Formats: sequence, C-alpha cells, structure tokens
Amino acid sequence: MLDLNTKKIKKNAYRVTKVRGETASRIRVPGGLLTADLLPLIQHIAETYGNGKLHLTTRQGFEIPGIKYEDMDAVNTLLQPIIDKLEINQEIPGKGYTAAGTRNVSACIGSNVCPFATYNTTAFAKRMEKEIFPNDLHFKVAFTGCANDCIKTRMHDFGIIGMTEPQYDKDRCVNCQACVKACKKKSVDALSVENFRIVRNTEKCVGCGECVINCPTRAWTRSPETYYRLVIMGRTGKRNPRLAEDFLVWANADAIVQIVTNTYKFVENYIDRTAPGGKEHIGYIIDRTGFEEYKKWALEGVKLDQRTIVKSPVYWGGIHYD
Amino acid sequence: MGYQIDLKKMNAILADLSKTYTIYAPKRFVGDGTFAHIDTIRYGEISDLAEIEFAEKSNYSFKEVLLPISETLFYFTENEMKEADARAKGAIVFLRSCDLHALKRLDTIYLENGAVDSYYKRLRDNTKFILMGCTQSFENCFCVSMGSNQTDDYDAYLKVDGETVLLNSRWEALDDALAGATAKDVVPDFVTENDTVVELPEAVPQALFDAPFWEDYGNRCIACGRCNFVCPTCTCFTMQDLFYTDNGKAGERRRVWASCHVDGYTDMAGGHAFRNDKGQRMRFKVMHKVNDYKRRFGTHMCIGCGRCDDVCPEYISFSNCINKLSALVKEDN
Amino acid sequence: MTIINPYLPFLSEITAVIKHTDIEYTFRMTYQGDVKPGQFFEVSLPKFGEAPISVSGIGDDTVDLTIRKVGKVTDEIFENYVGDHLFLRGPYGNGFDIDNYKGREILLVAGGTGLSPVKGIVDYFSQNPADANGFTLLVGFKSPADVLFKDDFTTWQKNLNVIMTVDTADDGYCGKRGMVTEYIPNIPIKNVSDAVGIVVGPPMMMKCTIAELLKAGFREENLWISQERKMCCGIGKCGHCKIDDTYICLDGPVFNYTKGKFLKD
Repeated sequence: MLDLNTKKIKKNAYRVTKVRGETASRIRVPGGLLTADLLPLIQHIAETYGNGKLHLTTRQGFEIPGIKYEDMDAVNTLLQPIIDKLEINQEIPGKGYTAAGTRNVSACIGSNVCPFATYNTTAFAKRMEKEIFPNDLHFKVAFTGCANDCIKTRMHDFGIIGMTEPQYDKDRCVNCQACVKACKKKSVDALSVENFRIVRNTEKCVGCGECVINCPTRAWTRSPETYYRLVIMGRTGKRNPRLAEDFLVWANADAIVQIVTNTYKFVENYIDRTAPGGKEHIGYIIDRTGFEEYKKWALEGVKLDQRTIVKSPVYWGGIHYD
Repeated sequence: MGYQIDLKKMNAILADLSKTYTIYAPKRFVGDGTFAHIDTIRYGEISDLAEIEFAEKSNYSFKEVLLPISETLFYFTENEMKEADARAKGAIVFLRSCDLHALKRLDTIYLENGAVDSYYKRLRDNTKFILMGCTQSFENCFCVSMGSNQTDDYDAYLKVDGETVLLNSRWEALDDALAGATAKDVVPDFVTENDTVVELPEAVPQALFDAPFWEDYGNRCIACGRCNFVCPTCTCFTMQDLFYTDNGKAGERRRVWASCHVDGYTDMAGGHAFRNDKGQRMRFKVMHKVNDYKRRFGTHMCIGCGRCDDVCPEYISFSNCINKLSALVKEDN
Repeated sequence: MTIINPYLPFLSEITAVIKHTDIEYTFRMTYQGDVKPGQFFEVSLPKFGEAPISVSGIGDDTVDLTIRKVGKVTDEIFENYVGDHLFLRGPYGNGFDIDNYKGREILLVAGGTGLSPVKGIVDYFSQNPADANGFTLLVGFKSPADVLFKDDFTTWQKNLNVIMTVDTADDGYCGKRGMVTEYIPNIPIKNVSDAVGIVVGPPMMMKCTIAELLKAGFREENLWISQERKMCCGIGKCGHCKIDDTYICLDGPVFNYTKGKFLKD
C-alpha cells in the first residue's frame, strides 16, 4: 500500500511515471561532461533498483527508469558519490537532488574539443549550475560555444552563445582572403578587402571566429576576453513555442550570471501562484508583465562591459496556438 | 670561446645589447592560436631570456625577422620614389640548427639568384644569430635526414641551465661583454636521430608529375598555404601597390608573403592560371623542396623542421609524401 | 658599400601612343640602354600596380610596350597619354638573340599579343631581309578587330612572306581565315632540317603549332619559344614564374625548345 507525496517526489528529481508503483530518477550532469568512472555507479543503480535501462535525456542527464518508489532512499544513497563528484549543490547530504525545477544546465562540447568553440562551455555551465541550483523554479539554461548553436540555446529560457572579438594585425596579413571566403561561405559575410587589407563590418560580425580559424598567418587572433550573446525566453510547449531572441550582444560572463540570478527574483515576485502546480514558465510571466518590467529586474546592479549592446525592447515571435 | 655566466648577468648583457640590437626569439603568444585557448609560438621581441620558449618548437620560423610578412619597399609620388627606411637597430635572432640551415636557403635566393635583394641584405648584414640547442627531437622533425641537425655557422650558442647560462661565442662584441664570465668548454646540444626518417628521392622523372599519387593530395589539400607560411625556406612574395590618391599616382609598394598552394599564385593578367589542380600545387612545392632547388643550387631546400606537418589542418604529411615519392621513383627505375 | 635597390623603378616618358584595337595600345617610352626583343619591363600602372610587359619595338632611346587591356591590372594605363610618365623597371629576361637566326631560313609563328615579344625580330629582318635566308611571318588573331600592328604589316609585306589569318570573321572579310596550324603544311620551306621556327602565343596555340612544325620536319633544336608567366619581381626572388629549377624571369622567357619542352608548370 503506497502512500506518497508526489510533490515531494518530483522535487527530489523523481518522476511520477505512467507505470503504477514505479518512478524514474534523473541524474544531473552540468555541462554534459562527466568522468567515465561514474558510469559503473549509474549502471549499478539501474541494475539494482531500476529495470537495467538508461535513458539519455535531452538535457544531457541520465534517467533511470523502473525504480520502485520504496527504493528511493536506497537510490539516493547510491546517488551521493555521483552528486559529490559532479559537485552539485545539495541542501541535505544523502537525500539526493533537493530540487528539480531548475533543470540541468546543458552545454555543447565546447572548446575542450570543438575547433569552433570560443570558450569552455562546460566550465561556464558548471559555474551557472553552482549559482542557480537547487531551485524549484522552472529555468532552462544552455551554453553553446559558437553561433552554430549546436546545443540549441535558442529553445531555452537563457541561451549563452560564445563570441570572440577578432583582432586583426594588418602587418601579418598576406591578403590570401581565406577569412573573407570562410566568413562569406560559413558565416555572415562581414569581411571585405580594401587596399589588400581586410575590413570587418563590426555591425554584422557575430564573433564566430571563422576568420581566426582560417587565418594561416595569425593575422587574425581572438580577443583575450570571451564575449557572449545572451538570448532569452525561447521555449517549446503547447501554447506559443518560439525561439529565444537576443537580449545582450558582446556581454561578459559576470553580467550573464547576474541577469540569470536576478531573473529568479523577478519570477519570485511575479509568478502566478495559482497556476497548476504553482508552475509558470518565465517567458509567460514576461509576456504578462511586459519586457520593460523584466528588463528593469534583470539588469538591476549588473555591470555591463562597455562593448555590450542591449537589445530593447525585445519582441518574440513563434507560433501562437492560443 | 666558451663561457658560464649567471642568468641575471646574462640578462643584463642582453639589456645592454638591446640598445644596438632588437632581440628576436621564439615566444609564446598566449591564446593567439587557431583555436580557443591554444597558444602560438612565433618570433617576437624579447628583453629577457625567460621570455624565450626553449622547450617547444616554434610554429612559425625566424624568417619573418629577415623577410617581414608585409614589407613596404618604397613610397611614390607622381615623379619620385622614396625607399622605405630600414630598421634603426640591428637584430639578434635566437634559432635552432635547422633554421640556421634555412637561413642559407634564404641567402641563396635573396643574395645569389639574380640581383641582390637590397631589402634582405640590409637586414641580413645587421643580424647576429644565436643558436638554441636541441636536447631532443620534436614531433615531425626530420633534420637528421636533411643533414640540418648540426651547424657550426652561428655567432653564438646559448643554453639556459637553471640560474646559469652557458655560451659559446664567435662574436667579438659578445666576447667583450662576457669578459668577466667563467671560461668553460661549451658544446651545443644537437639531436642525432629523429623518429621521422626521410629517404630522399633521386632525380624525379617528369613522367611522375602526372602520377595518380598526386591526385590524392588534390583531394585532400584545401589550398590554405599554412605549410608555406610556416616553412623557414619558402621565399615567395607578391607585390601590392597601395594608393593614397584617387589618381593612383601617390602611394606605397610593398611585398607580402605568397604561397604556391593558395589560389592566384600563377594567375596572369587576363586570368589564365597555370596550376589550378591542388595536387599539382603539392607536386610543385614538393619538387621545389626536394628536387628542383637542388638541381639549381646543389642542396635540398627543405631542412626537415617538420613545421608543415605540424600545421596542416588536413593532416597531409610532407615527410611521408617524400618517402612515398622516393618509393615511386625507385619503382620507376 | 651602397647596395643597388633592384626594386626602385625609373621614370619614363610616353612619347607616342598607337592604338591598335579598342583594348590594345602601344606606348612608346623613353629608354636608354640595351634591350632585346622578348625582354620585358615591369611597368607601374597607376591604381593597379606592376605588370610585366614585353618589349614590342626598339627605337633609338625608346622602347615600345604594347599593353592589352585585360584584367583590371592593365586598364589604367590607357588614361595616360603623350607627355605623361610611367615608372619602369627592367629590361628583364634573356630575350631573343637575333644572331642565332641570321643566315637561316626563318618561320615565325605568333598568336595574338604573342606578336609583341617577337615584333622586334620581324622589324629587324624586314629592314635587313638579306640577313635571312627567307623569312615567313605567320600570325593569327581572333578576329579582324583584334589585329595588332596593322601599319607594320604593310611595311613587312614588302620584304617578307607574311600570312595573317583570323579565327573567325564576318562574311565580308577578304583576308585569310582559320588557325595558324592549318597554314604550316603549305609554307614553302627550302631546307626544313636547318630552318628556324619561332613560336609565341597562348599556351594551347604554342603547343599545337610546335606539334605541327615538328611534323613538318623542323628539328627541336631549331625551335625557339617564349614563355609568358606571372613575372612579379623580374629578378628571381618572388617565385611566381618558377617552373622546375627554371626561373622564367632570369633564364627565359625565351627558350630553345630542347629546354623549353621540359618546362612543366
């Protein structure tokens, strides 16, 4: 005879599944990177308490299905070394994940591996996870190394797209135009040649770094600072799925972290407590309050880099089914 | 003459020399690489031995000191030409044995093949070369195969050993500066073997120019020219006229490095190009390095530094190409 | 010791401009010094930079430079006119040695602008017909509108056997038509094994013409060609004109065919 508080179960990162008596445990992997030694621990849980199967979630976590509700405590105990190793913030040690609303912070493979990435996406994802988890509010944040956006940040509440500001040393340029061709064919055609030298259209440039990657003489190099494009309020869903729109361009990391944490305060203040399950997505809250109100909260106390462009007002499109 | 001297004292000597000479050495440019968080090691000005990257091979060679990537030759107006000024100071260049051999290749082209290149000569004549030893062979090096692993042809040899500097000087000004240092026999570090061994082809018959062998490179090469730009023996350049006025009668002429792999290298006015196929461009370069140059000047052009193999984004190995070519030549005979 | 700067051009005055076609002009430039047909100058063209231009005529204290308005490089010179100046470097290259051909039976085959580098040879034998044991000039142009040196042809026809043909022409054209190669078999050569053949033109034209001359019995060592390449510095440094161990700017552009046939780009 099961007598469960499903709200608590969900907040402990277990799912109330369609199978009576069975739950599923979700393991967070911030930035999508883990050491392989954790896999046997996950395997052990799946084979001991689950049905021996693992699901890879779209947010780069693991979901272990087929767990009996009565085994949750035992599973939480086995999760502890994984939680420790991945340095997940935890309110009560041994009790598993203490929130689930704020989803795993995901990231593309980033500059550890990918030649296109402008920064270490995993490291930034972990930093963000540390700042915002645990929290019951429904936030989705993703990091991607370049404008290719392989992680699909534009379907997130917050998407962070890496940018580099190309630095041009004209005295190292031989006018081979590899950068011009790459920018035209693979990016936004922001480069042109004037008097054998390259001119970068700074309005157009998306900071993808193709010029740097393709330069054979190191005439193009990366700026010492990494910049980011912060795109906000993308979402899937029944009512109005839409892509995230640019909020900040050429932003610095600290500003982004602060804007995200500020947004929690905004949501706390404006969330519709009467919404089903007390859950309301940020995007819909902003739709209600208006962008200007959100912007006021989001930028509160934020120190922006002088290069940062703030897009205001921001309009979203998407498909309306409502 | 061999010396041992305290590191600090040697740096003081360099500081003194830098009044007359700009000192160039392989240096780490943090984050300046092709990809994020990757460094570039290339030549730059130094004022302290600690700035020199002794532990790794430089990605680019010393040649940019003597042949600037972009060099203004002269300024012109409607009726006059004014030669661009030379650097005010002389230069001291730190480099390895292979690159010292490359220097001879540059000399041959710029001082002997046709008229003397006055721009090269005026820099060359005011440059001193300080040998850096190699205690170990780096990846892709094949200097031993090319006979460039050792050299006697330096103004000085310098090795940093902890807080001590060992020197071997053939340069009077440096000998004078080192007058107070301890005399010591110093023998340069040279490698005597490499992991990569290259067998050079005997004269390559022209019949092999169209061998299917080159087609593979035609499919792989992306014509980026990196192999040429990092090569210490590639000497090609292109002229550029920059105009200050609308009538095009005042401006400057400069030369910039050129690459036989990059589109446009053989284009003539009117648009005809002689080597459109990238495989044939590879053939042209390889033949220059290990066949044609030798026919004209008596030594191979390639000095086996392996930088081209280090840098190729398509993983084309020049050394492996030479070995495959040699095998083909043998087969052909 | 002062080193001579080989890259510094000198100022040369335009003393005459001869228009051949809408896109081809000859500029007569002041120049004092030895120069041979087939040699070239690096000409600084305002707004575009240097271009290697063959010497198309040699006068007392002048050289003719015939420039075709192809590509953006050579457009601008056409804004210059008599009295104006251009900067030149050169002459560069080996050029044709007329002594090699004296006393011989000569067939000179040129295609289009390929006539420029050999025009000095034609001029010489036109003025000194006795120095050759017969001289035939066979020239092909694309169309009647592309014919160069029209006035010179009138002069040449007096002393030399001149055949001029065009690839294509409108119906009313009275002159010869067809490729130069079609005319080679019918040229009367007295002693083909000793006759000299000189061939200059576009790469494909040269290839076909040489094949035809060899077929006709010309000996390889009696054939001479001039190779046009991207000669950027003119002094063996820049590398663009290199073919195997040969620098066209230093060792050429004129080659005996026994050497030239091995030149593979």
